[in-house]
Amino acid sequence: MPNDQSLELLSLPSQALTRLSQSAVQDTIQYFEPDLITIPGPRDAAAYAQVRDAAPDVFVIHPQLGRSGEHITHYRYSTDTGVREASNTTSEPGMIDVLAVQNLDILTRLQSELETNTRDTGSRAATFLILPQLSIEWNTTSLSTTLPEQDQLTAISNCLPEPVTVLAGEQPAEYNHEWTVQSTQSSDTLLIVGLGAHNQGSATVAQYSCTSRGTVAAEAVDASKFGLKALHGVGASTAQRLQQKECRTTQDVRNLSITELAELPGIGPTRAEKIHGHADVIESGEPLVLTNKTPIKTRGNQPPVCLDIETDGLSPTIIWQFGVYDPASDTHQAFIEKHDPKNPETVLEAFITWFIANHGNRTVLTWNGYGFDYPQIKQFLTQYCPEYLDAWDDVWTYDLYKWAVRDGNALLPGRTNKLDHVARALGYEAAGTGLTGAKTAAVYQEFMRNPDDPEREPDWERHKQYCKDDCQALWHVYQAITDAKRRDMTDSGTGGVNGQQAGLTDF
Amino acid sequence: MSEHNTPDTGSQIGMTGDTLLDTFPRTSLTSESDFIETIQIPEKPAETVPAGDILRPELAEPYPFDLFSHQAAALNALEDNDNVTIATSTSSGKTHIYGLQIARNLLDAGVLNADGTRATERNDASTALCVYPMKALTKDQHESLTDLYDQLGLDIRVETYDGDTTGDRRAIRNEADVILTNFAALNVYLEHHDKWSRFYSALDLVAIDESHTYTGIEGMHVAWILRRMKRVATYWGGNPQYTLTSATIGNPHAHSLELLNEPVTVIDDDGSPHGPRDIVLWNPPPRDKTRDATPDDAPFTTTDQDSETDESDTEFVAERVPASVEAPKVFNHLTSSEIRTLLFCPSRKLTELSIQRADDHRKHNTREYDLTSKPQREAYNAGLGRRTRHSREHQFKTDVLTGLATTSALELGIDIGDLDATVLMGYPGQRQSFWQRIGRAGREASHSLSVLVGDHRTLDQYIINHPEYLLENDVEDAVVDTSNNSVFATHVLCASDEIALTEDDLDTFAETDRLRAAVQMWREAGYIDGYLDAAAHYCGPSRPQTQVNLYGNNDTDYRLELAPDVDRDHWGLPDDLDLEPVEQNRAYRDYHEGAVRLQNGQQFEVVNVDEERPQPVIQLKPVDHDYYTRTQNKVNVLDADSEETRDINGFTLHFGRGTVLVHYHSYDQMYISNSEPKQQMLATETPPILMDTQLCWVEVPDDVETALVRKYQHYGLETGVDPDETGMAHLGYVAGLHAAEHATIQTAPLELRVDKNDLGGLATLVMDTHYTHNEYDEITDSISESFEAAKHALEQRTQELGGQTRSGWFIYDGVEGGLGFARAIYDNFEALCERARDQLENCQCGQPNGCPACTFDENCGNDNKPLLRQSAVDVLDQLLGDADREDLSEHLPDDDYGGNRRPVVFYS
Repeated sequence: MPNDQSLELLSLPSQALTRLSQSAVQDTIQYFEPDLITIPGPRDAAAYAQVRDAAPDVFVIHPQLGRSGEHITHYRYSTDTGVREASNTTSEPGMIDVLAVQNLDILTRLQSELETNTRDTGSRAATFLILPQLSIEWNTTSLSTTLPEQDQLTAISNCLPEPVTVLAGEQPAEYNHEWTVQSTQSSDTLLIVGLGAHNQGSATVAQYSCTSRGTVAAEAVDASKFGLKALHGVGASTAQRLQQKECRTTQDVRNLSITELAELPGIGPTRAEKIHGHADVIESGEPLVLTNKTPIKTRGNQPPVCLDIETDGLSPTIIWQFGVYDPASDTHQAFIEKHDPKNPETVLEAFITWFIANHGNRTVLTWNGYGFDYPQIKQFLTQYCPEYLDAWDDVWTYDLYKWAVRDGNALLPGRTNKLDHVARALGYEAAGTGLTGAKTAAVYQEFMRNPDDPEREPDWERHKQYCKDDCQALWHVYQAITDAKRRDMTDSGTGGVNGQQAGLTDF
Repeated sequence: MSEHNTPDTGSQIGMTGDTLLDTFPRTSLTSESDFIETIQIPEKPAETVPAGDILRPELAEPYPFDLFSHQAAALNALEDNDNVTIATSTSSGKTHIYGLQIARNLLDAGVLNADGTRATERNDASTALCVYPMKALTKDQHESLTDLYDQLGLDIRVETYDGDTTGDRRAIRNEADVILTNFAALNVYLEHHDKWSRFYSALDLVAIDESHTYTGIEGMHVAWILRRMKRVATYWGGNPQYTLTSATIGNPHAHSLELLNEPVTVIDDDGSPHGPRDIVLWNPPPRDKTRDATPDDAPFTTTDQDSETDESDTEFVAERVPASVEAPKVFNHLTSSEIRTLLFCPSRKLTELSIQRADDHRKHNTREYDLTSKPQREAYNAGLGRRTRHSREHQFKTDVLTGLATTSALELGIDIGDLDATVLMGYPGQRQSFWQRIGRAGREASHSLSVLVGDHRTLDQYIINHPEYLLENDVEDAVVDTSNNSVFATHVLCASDEIALTEDDLDTFAETDRLRAAVQMWREAGYIDGYLDAAAHYCGPSRPQTQVNLYGNNDTDYRLELAPDVDRDHWGLPDDLDLEPVEQNRAYRDYHEGAVRLQNGQQFEVVNVDEERPQPVIQLKPVDHDYYTRTQNKVNVLDADSEETRDINGFTLHFGRGTVLVHYHSYDQMYISNSEPKQQMLATETPPILMDTQLCWVEVPDDVETALVRKYQHYGLETGVDPDETGMAHLGYVAGLHAAEHATIQTAPLELRVDKNDLGGLATLVMDTHYTHNEYDEITDSISESFEAAKHALEQRTQELGGQTRSGWFIYDGVEGGLGFARAIYDNFEALCERARDQLENCQCGQPNGCPACTFDENCGNDNKPLLRQSAVDVLDQLLGDADREDLSEHLPDDDYGGNRRPVVFYS
């Protein structure tokens, strides 16, 4: 099977599209650079037109429309050829296929076409089946779940030699579950991944890396992070006013003078400066520090050590990896529980004794540590090694995410506040382990269920690398912030209501 | 409960029952009137034990009282490490039991020195959690515990921690010895249990106050919150003992066991005293409808004496002055005589109306009452919002107010000072609740008066006809049921968020199969990650705890707000209406568009219901209408699946689950003045609700059915139906089933602590068509919530089943997933039927189809038609074995009787 060939599929649910201006749709497409786009959920001709207009060169899958009597849409992909319509190409074994049906009733026809080989798919690379309206149903009174059309889906999966992955339109973008479908003869598994057109919660768009092995990794971003609303301090009404001034993109905002911005209703000089600053950050990829505060206090002229932990889930039963990167010596130390996943104490004690002995006098830096890492470390110390609690309490701990984002001390590029997105936007080149926090947790969970099965033993080196990568990404972001342009907004912008004071034109 | 064992201050006689009857301005009223019954309850002395026999000297010496015998027994059981439930009367010193146990724990743990000073600043050794049903009660008990510890000279840190806490929350978590809260708050705080590690690791005692209030939906949620709390405590190393304090209930042991999932010792031998007490059972005089004022003449006056006839004139009484009209008069009379009185009303609306009606009564009796000094009276209910409620509590306590017209909100131990009298507008539905309300009047040795003003409906008339019922020893069972999967599933999410679920939770948190099924469901639905053999973590939208709604089962409540175009200044309305949200079933029943509700003295009309958002919103507009609204519904039962059956004299009783389709389809506008309809059958335009729920049903044996169909085959108009609906041979019989269904639901609260508004029923001639059948698909799958489709499907099913079906009636829990009420009815069916039969037989209405006191049900979807008392009595007599099957033989046909074709009819 060809290794790691992967198709980038962007999902733009119509609920998200209705919240995006046309230039914001363009911004989204520019940001993700997808190979293929789909609009899951109900039939929506306006949404289709919106996307076709914004991305004339990319195929857009919206079979719900039933254009020219078309019920099944079929594309093939390989790195060499890019995406092509199936009708214009012949199938090659190594090509990834993307099939989409107008509605669930069409599945019968698709099944028979695949079974009779009237429709060919690449046998050595995965086939992705988009079902725009599919959602999982559950019943809390009977404590049961229903995967609609599960027999049909299993039959399709079984008649093809390659992996088949189902992309369910109406499931949330975070949904990624391997279904076990029990029948009288056999037990089959089927990977179902959500495309995000569900009604609850906020509107997100997501890009899916669909690999030839059939796995899918999603990057979901809130729709409000695109277009003018991505700018700190720009809401729906300000965005509208800006558009009326022919100012449609962040680049347009950047080209505007702060004075012009400040003249818009409801925007004072301080806010204008911040909006302009953020446009600058997004376009340039350089961070901007807004206050005269420093993110951390270092000790003994030493840089902070960067810490990251890995757990088995969001309410952890074990912290199974502690990774500490020391920029002073450019060394990384990892503590991993590889033998007894039901015992959180050994790895915890190994970490805490080493840390206190070697780095007790150093400042510790994390990304969202106050939200997760520090309370978890404290909780596990209280449970398993209470004798070290006081020593740990004496350590100077900092959280760069809290300082920059939550406390509003800096503006960062990147469309989410996830460390890897921020670091990537700041030019950090990741090691490319192909792991995410959720995936590394899931692999460890699998190990917890079968600790003695050598087949399922995780590739420890890869997981160590993933954690190290996060620590070094954090160091990269920290350096970018300490090196960044600094504009103390708290001191400026108070000079006059009309925003005419000097200083402002420095940008 | 805040004060007890205070020295005897001597009997201060407020007003006796006789004085009330003598002075009340109505000539026909005397203590000999046969619609008035007075029960005199003699004084009961205290049974006490010297504190020194039970408590160590450090506590016994400063403790200013002897201990009541039940307090002593409870403290001994706690000393033996038992969990204890204390089920005794109001103000019997229950708070002091857990208050003293906490003190003993702190002394044992060395947190306190023997002299009561603190041995350590930090307390990692012994903490206690006290949980109350309402914030107002928490406030009260906080004072009570603080007073106790002041008296004992103990430096114990008692802190309240709930939504109103504004101070340093972290300091409370890290330093308090005792934390007081409520279950809604506890539910939320469990998520961040790591911040509470000190508190939970040292947790020695959990006190659950007024535990009898945790029944139905709220009881289920509390049971699961306690199980989640126990997981958290275990995680941090705490292993608490539980103390439950309860009013007297029939099944304190079973109820506590279900709440706690741990063994418990019950102490219910009440050693506390009470003073002499008169209870007047007051049946309002009969009402002659023909002399009613027409609505147009007097839209706002209350029905007054001119419409009351003398009891002796009539042999049968088909209608009486409603308690909602009569009780405010008694309330006025007492408060005008400066008797501090609580009037308990069944609804928020009536608390408001009663104040108005009491004032009217006063104005209409100028000779009796001194109009220059008007007694101060106000309404009190949960709809008023916290600020207003607190202010009225305070005003009553300080004697600024002489009377409060309240809902059940003041039934519990909120301290509003002493009072002399209580008036109950209608029987509150439960003996336990009746005594709790009665018990609010009079403290210790003083004389107190309570008046139950009966309504003309089944329960009230049963009580007034059988006053001995009130004095029977066995009290209703409190029903709490943890088998509702829908509620359980929500708490599984919360638990997995708090601490990952593992195999350690099998059979400790929940039964193995059930927990496995729930985790698998949530994993497949995308809300839980991982497996129980490793760890199952929550991975859905943050804070699943906010999805727990203690008072309902739906995910989202309906928020009440003012419509945007309302001129607040014009109506004198505050910015924030301060009204509590309502759950879906209530929203559909009471807040459909066009509904008129009274809130805080102001009428509001529902102008818009917006369900197209995460939290649905109901918009209200202030109005000034001469009517209120009443909602009509219809019901069907589909796909009932029997899980358990038993035989009762040839009748088959079932318990099982099925789907109930309810539609609040229309409503009536009723004149406020006389409750007569102004306009009827206006569409609500709300869709039907489908509920998977628990059911109990009974099948009548063929021979009984055949005989009774024939016996009543000529009944028609007697059943209350219109002339064009007569002429069906089965009418008399099915009218009896319908009446029996109503009566068994109406009398259920006599045996069980259930709310009959959470029960519904359906009488039917075609029982089998409402069942699941292996050879057929479920009807629910094909009808998409349409009543017409359901009825059509049932007719078709009847044909297919070829007449092989029996008759009978269903009783169901009116909440998704069920409440355990149908289950409790299944277990107590004979007792219920006996009460129902007695009331049907003894009612004085003289109407073949009965009256509101025997067969009528205000929630009936068929406008209380057709109903037939006598055939219902026959059915129930046969079921109870009180009539011989031979008695029916004269009605059985001689040959093989083909009978008339069985019509597909059912009545709710």
